[in-house]
Amino acid sequence: MLTLLLLWRPQRLARLVSRRFKPRLDATAPGVLSTREMETIVAFAAVLVEGRELDAQEASYVVEHVTDKAGKTPGYLALYRKTAGLLDRLAGAPFSSLSLERRIGLMVQHRFTEYDVRIREYLLPWGRETLTVRALAVPDLIRGYYFSPAGWAAVGYRAFPGRCGDLMRYTSAEA
Amino acid sequence: MAAREEVRETEVCIIGAGAAGGIMALELARRGIRVVVLESGPRHDLARRGDYSRRFVKGENPWESPLAGIDRHTTGGSVGYRLEWHRARGVGGSTLHWEGTALRLHTDDFRMRTLHGMAEDWPISYEEIEPYYGKAERALGVAGTPDDPWASPRSTAFPLPPFPMSFSDGFFAGACRKLGIALHHLPQARNSLAYGGRSQCRACGTCHVCPTGAKASTDLTHIPQAEATGHADVVTDATALRLEVDRSSRVRSVVYAGADRRERRLSARIFVVAAGGVETARLLLLSASPDFPRGLANRSGLVGRYFTSHPSIDVTGRVAARVYPYRIGFSTAMSGQFAVPRDRQRRGAFFLEFLNSAGPLPGQIAPVSGAWGTALGQRVKAEFGRTLGIRIYAEQLPDNSNTVTLSAGVTDYFGNPAPHITYGIGPYERAALEGAREVAVKILAALGAEGIRSGALGYAAHQLGTHRMGSDPAQSVVDANLRAHDVPNLYLVGGGCFVTVSASPPTLTIAALAIRTAEHLAEVYRGQGAGRRSHRSGSPAAGAIR
Repeated sequence: MLTLLLLWRPQRLARLVSRRFKPRLDATAPGVLSTREMETIVAFAAVLVEGRELDAQEASYVVEHVTDKAGKTPGYLALYRKTAGLLDRLAGAPFSSLSLERRIGLMVQHRFTEYDVRIREYLLPWGRETLTVRALAVPDLIRGYYFSPAGWAAVGYRAFPGRCGDLMRYTSAEA
Repeated sequence: MAAREEVRETEVCIIGAGAAGGIMALELARRGIRVVVLESGPRHDLARRGDYSRRFVKGENPWESPLAGIDRHTTGGSVGYRLEWHRARGVGGSTLHWEGTALRLHTDDFRMRTLHGMAEDWPISYEEIEPYYGKAERALGVAGTPDDPWASPRSTAFPLPPFPMSFSDGFFAGACRKLGIALHHLPQARNSLAYGGRSQCRACGTCHVCPTGAKASTDLTHIPQAEATGHADVVTDATALRLEVDRSSRVRSVVYAGADRRERRLSARIFVVAAGGVETARLLLLSASPDFPRGLANRSGLVGRYFTSHPSIDVTGRVAARVYPYRIGFSTAMSGQFAVPRDRQRRGAFFLEFLNSAGPLPGQIAPVSGAWGTALGQRVKAEFGRTLGIRIYAEQLPDNSNTVTLSAGVTDYFGNPAPHITYGIGPYERAALEGAREVAVKILAALGAEGIRSGALGYAAHQLGTHRMGSDPAQSVVDANLRAHDVPNLYLVGGGCFVTVSASPPTLTIAALAIRTAEHLAEVYRGQGAGRRSHRSGSPAAGAIR
């Protein structure tokens, strides 16, 4: 049956698999992450978004995003907790205590940097926790960071929606 | 709930402190007429706008009411017209979140029946409203220059110089020149220079929430001045629940309530409802009585009918050059060339707005890039800022089947039936959108854009036509002075009075009509108080309050 569907309607099958097996946020209540959990998340995000240690300002963008999401949107507290717990477990120590190189190595080894998850991976019976982090937590952290002033800095903007500046700047190309 | 107390009495009660209500409050109060304004929402102090702006950037709607269910509504028709993000409660009303586009209607827009045999003519002409457009532009502080070759004549200059064209407008200008399309400045009710005690625009990029007050909104431009006269009081968190009439079919009082749901009553000699095209109609329908079984001022059966907006789509394309979007939150160029088309019997007018902000944001590019680490930032930088966009607003014909009615099963915070909005568009509007899309595609193609695509059908936050004006009480709800045909001391102002809607945003016309009605009302009121009545035919003062 599945073979027939795959041959005749591959896109429909993909939608079916995605709907059934794609990791989803659960409906757990919002709340606050512990300091250690937040440190793990920031150390994780640093590798993803910049590939280097974040300065205090950049780290604050991650903290603000995570605090906001965990505190307001059901499911995110549990997602971040799952992420922090998994990373600490894989590191065998607080993930944030590892050097940048070791963090990168660990993340590449466990494919946390491959967040464009293939639909066929949803069907694998193992690595469900890692898959959830790759499919949900990684894009969320990247999105949150690049929606912050850090994202505008990446494209060379010092003023941007929400930060006022020189009115006439819009009339010419950026310096 | 039972009305418990008669709290106050006034000369004129205005329901709603938005574009029309705020302007009328000042225009009446400065003439010494005692006004009480009931506003359903709170005061959104300017000092809080920085926080609002931050929330807006995060995707939140800071204007959303904290009262659960107050904005509940249901929809029907082929296009579900939702009100979320499309209106705001609070002192300032929809001017709190409007884009600031301040366009006049065209001479022809008032004569659709005469010129094209469609819809109805307005009971007033462009020439009659023209001086009030000038007054509205001065009151709001409109920045512009008369470079639209298609615009109707104007007797006054814009009070502020225009915002210069943007860097990306330069691309559009070149393509339009090649194609013979006129591109010109887009008049804006925001300060290109400090004006009216408000600062110059500082390009904060969040015009839905202007954190500096440079964009005109009546909580800044009118209400404080009205209160300063000593003749106007604004009661906030006061939602009008129904209007009560006496035996002579005059409105005697309004029953209103706040968050505590306790009913209060305000009596006045004259009532002005300025609650927007949806809520004004709903309030009238909620005010049915033995005298008005179909709703107050609704002997014509037209209250809530002809609900009209502006269907809209964005057409975008990717260009090789960097165009540097998102540096201001408003547009600076448009084309009015198609706002008065020759084939208007067949398809609606449309206007083109050349967007200064189009394409994905860094936060949208990054999570779908597949990149991480240092490569991610480089990818975002390479992808960002190469999209040009043109927004289309199309004219919609009034359609009797587009309506605001009372929901059969859903109630609001106060237990009253919520509004039910039935909305759809027909072949006339689809032809306008298709014609506009073809023009937009040509412009983008002339720029060498690739991946040109049309966005989803949307609709503007313009709620119009639900208590339209006219000379015939059987075919309209209010007369040319916006007085209800059926109720001598009731005025219905705002976008609901539009007979036809053109392709242009309505706020400047709402403001001009509000000033005109206030002049009429003040003259009638004074005449009545002094024991005389004006009967000058055609003047705003014609027809005293009986």
